[in-house]
Amino acid sequence: MKNFRTTKLLTLVLAGTLALAGCSSSKDAGSSGAADGGNAADTNSTAPVTFTFFGADASPNWNNMKDDVGQEITKKTGVTINAEYDVGSGGGDQKISLMAASGQYPDLIYAKGSLSTLIDAGALVDMTDLIDKYAPNLKKLYSSNMNRLKYSNEDPKIYSIPTNVGVDNMIFDATGGFEIQHRVLKELGYPKVKTVQDYENVLKQYVAKHPTTNGQPTIPLTLNADDWKIMITVTNPAFQATGAPDDGEYYIDPTTYEAKLHYKRPEEKEYFRWLNHMYNEGLLDKDTFVQKDDQYKAKISSGRVLGLIDQEWDYQDAENALKSANKNEFTYAHFPVTMSEDIKDKSMQSVGFDGYGISITTSCKDPVRAIKFLDWLASDEGQVLRNWGVEGKHYKVENGKRVIPAEIQNRKVNDASTFSKETGIGLYTAMSGRYGDGVKDSTGNYYTTNFPEQIVASYSDAEKESLKGYNATTWKDLFPNEKDFPVKDWGAAYNMTVPTDGEYQVIWKKTQDIVRKSIPEAVLSKPADFDKVYDNFLASLDKAGAPKMEAEYTTLVKARVSLWTGKDIK
Amino acid sequence: MKTLTMDDNLQHESVTPKAPKRKKKTKGDFWKSVGQQKYLYFMSIPFVIWLFVFSYVPLWGWTMAFQNYKPAKSFSNQKWVGLKNFVELFQDERFYLVLRNTLAMSIMGIVVGFIVPIVFAILLNELRSMKFKRTIQTVSYLPHFVSWVVVAGIITKLLSIDGGIVNEILLSLHIIDQPIQFMAKGNWFWGIVTASDVWKETGWNAIIYLAAITGIDKEQYEAARVDGASRFRQIWNITLPGIRPTIMVLLILSIGHLTSIGFEKQMLLGNSLVTDYSEVLDLYALKYGIQINRFSYGTAIGMFNSIVSIILLFTANGLFKKFAKESIM
Repeated sequence: MKNFRTTKLLTLVLAGTLALAGCSSSKDAGSSGAADGGNAADTNSTAPVTFTFFGADASPNWNNMKDDVGQEITKKTGVTINAEYDVGSGGGDQKISLMAASGQYPDLIYAKGSLSTLIDAGALVDMTDLIDKYAPNLKKLYSSNMNRLKYSNEDPKIYSIPTNVGVDNMIFDATGGFEIQHRVLKELGYPKVKTVQDYENVLKQYVAKHPTTNGQPTIPLTLNADDWKIMITVTNPAFQATGAPDDGEYYIDPTTYEAKLHYKRPEEKEYFRWLNHMYNEGLLDKDTFVQKDDQYKAKISSGRVLGLIDQEWDYQDAENALKSANKNEFTYAHFPVTMSEDIKDKSMQSVGFDGYGISITTSCKDPVRAIKFLDWLASDEGQVLRNWGVEGKHYKVENGKRVIPAEIQNRKVNDASTFSKETGIGLYTAMSGRYGDGVKDSTGNYYTTNFPEQIVASYSDAEKESLKGYNATTWKDLFPNEKDFPVKDWGAAYNMTVPTDGEYQVIWKKTQDIVRKSIPEAVLSKPADFDKVYDNFLASLDKAGAPKMEAEYTTLVKARVSLWTGKDIK
Repeated sequence: MKTLTMDDNLQHESVTPKAPKRKKKTKGDFWKSVGQQKYLYFMSIPFVIWLFVFSYVPLWGWTMAFQNYKPAKSFSNQKWVGLKNFVELFQDERFYLVLRNTLAMSIMGIVVGFIVPIVFAILLNELRSMKFKRTIQTVSYLPHFVSWVVVAGIITKLLSIDGGIVNEILLSLHIIDQPIQFMAKGNWFWGIVTASDVWKETGWNAIIYLAAITGIDKEQYEAARVDGASRFRQIWNITLPGIRPTIMVLLILSIGHLTSIGFEKQMLLGNSLVTDYSEVLDLYALKYGIQINRFSYGTAIGMFNSIVSIILLFTANGLFKKFAKESIM
């Protein structure tokens, strides 16, 4: 009797608890799959093996290697990748922090900005010897950049091999600078656009002639100041127009490597003075600092904005809308506009080889097999497979040239996500090292499917017409060439890992808040007040601790330069 | 396994329905009643566990506020820093600015957010045509289901100088001769937030008052009418006193939430020109805590928030108990 009752009560509790916990997951977070069935002694084997992988970027088309390229990879190497990717624009930070907290890692990880979290947790394998002994292809690929792979002076180990940028990548087209609509250029007879004065005149002349577009007021110039986009369209152009390269929020002196917030350069004050002038002249949209991202794009897609100072990826959606409505004359041309003619736009200056990459973790049971796998992916065969797909299926070789059949190309552009899901082209690019656009392999073909001829072919008629008006084939021709500038010793400063704790982050945040508040204030002030507002802005940056932050950053830059170039810097 | 036991139970239920009563209890009334209601007690256990796991266990995380917390380390390896995070918090002038904004917006929100729905509910209740009443009620609570992202879009568009309807109307009535850039004026921001909140939530908040009004005994109105009370008299002397307990409970609860007003509205409606008026405590915790990996600092802000909430809740409750003879505890 009593027994029954106890069971009954227990069952009740149990049932209730189950109802609550019904959704608890039974997923295995683990890293269990490593080397099951693999034979560690025979490292050349292609015996089936599964590696777990985590990618910090979303990869919605990932198809568990059921795609053509994936099947081919498994056939050649015996490796199956069991991958998990971060969702949305996550960047993996949270997921990787959790991994570090629990100590459970996948075998391979593409950690992006969270690399230091994993290194601090002791989760990554030093790849220096592995590459040296087992990876001839990777060694060849990174030969001249080996120093850039090292983590730091204090810890000169190779924890990851950069895979999100290609080695010796070439840029074929300019997608930033100052933009003007093709209809404006055509009507004004392709005027000279070199300085901000030229740019202002062009907009002014056209808006005087056409005060309305499709019945709505024409907007000569609008910018996107919503959240971090303010950096892209309001503050970054200040250093572009004054001949400084992009080092994020800093300006780094190329000889002393001293870093300071770029707003402190006296030239930039003049750029913001010009914006202030544009605002007071009524040429800069009054909504600039109030509008949200979507309103900005809506304006552009209405076709009534004559000029932008932006990067193509930021206004791409709006331009695509115009293109699909067959309004190509309302899309934009790119110009390297500077404060005066003797200043050169440095947008094209090369940062050298600098990117995020893939790492092997301590959870991996057979790191030798893993590095061999990465090495195979980096071989010519592997790279062509990852970029072009399977021969005879996704490309053909005609007279020694790799050609993509028209119907495949068509699907690639118009049915992009299904295409990559089925074929796997583009899904494996970040999994191992690779050459960039414009590099040719031993057969004289490009490694990647992006090359100059293709860029020109993808231009619209309006673009081609404008380019013809300026005697150029691509927008890049209008910009100063990267060959005119030395490669930056410190790489892409905005990619550099900064201290994640301590005062640096707090000062950084404070100065960012000041910038985002004060720059709009300065631009919207009366011309007579501009100096006062701008000087106050600089003073409040220092008051928030900017000098301390700059000193800390300078130390980091110097350490990076000496690590990468071997130069002795004090 | 489990199903089996369940079946067993079902079979035996009818045989031993009165079994519990035969048990002897000698440990006082409390245990007696526990014994009598043990099924109820056992059924509530999962929910007590749930409450414990989700509301009390996380309090353990407050220890982070006294540490220099690093995600990858175990608890014993964390560095203890005492009250450093709180000292830093109370020394930051930005903190007082965001506290001012938070309190200003929540007090404005409580004042307006209480009066408007109550008035609205009473007016709605006085309507004779049921069809009209129901339509208005539905129309007015629909905005509640619209996400703040969309509402913020609508508001900025309405107040825009680029064809925004508010400016158009003011211009055509010759009240102003230059369009006003509403969203760029810091000192208008609190008002805009409060007004949009009223638009979005009035209908929804009125529902609970309408329900309370329905609960008032109809005989009271009939008696009042016999005594010759006007409709206004009836509202004042019957409806309002009738929903007084509801108003009090909601008021005390919302005073408890004074410092935690969320951050969606402020984040979505704000822009760089009005940050000095739009940044609230939660936004500050997000920006200066979590976004830059200062988990400890963020926890300190959260802890401050919770403690202030508890103090406010008990003070409000005590005051109401004393002066209005209404309380929730």
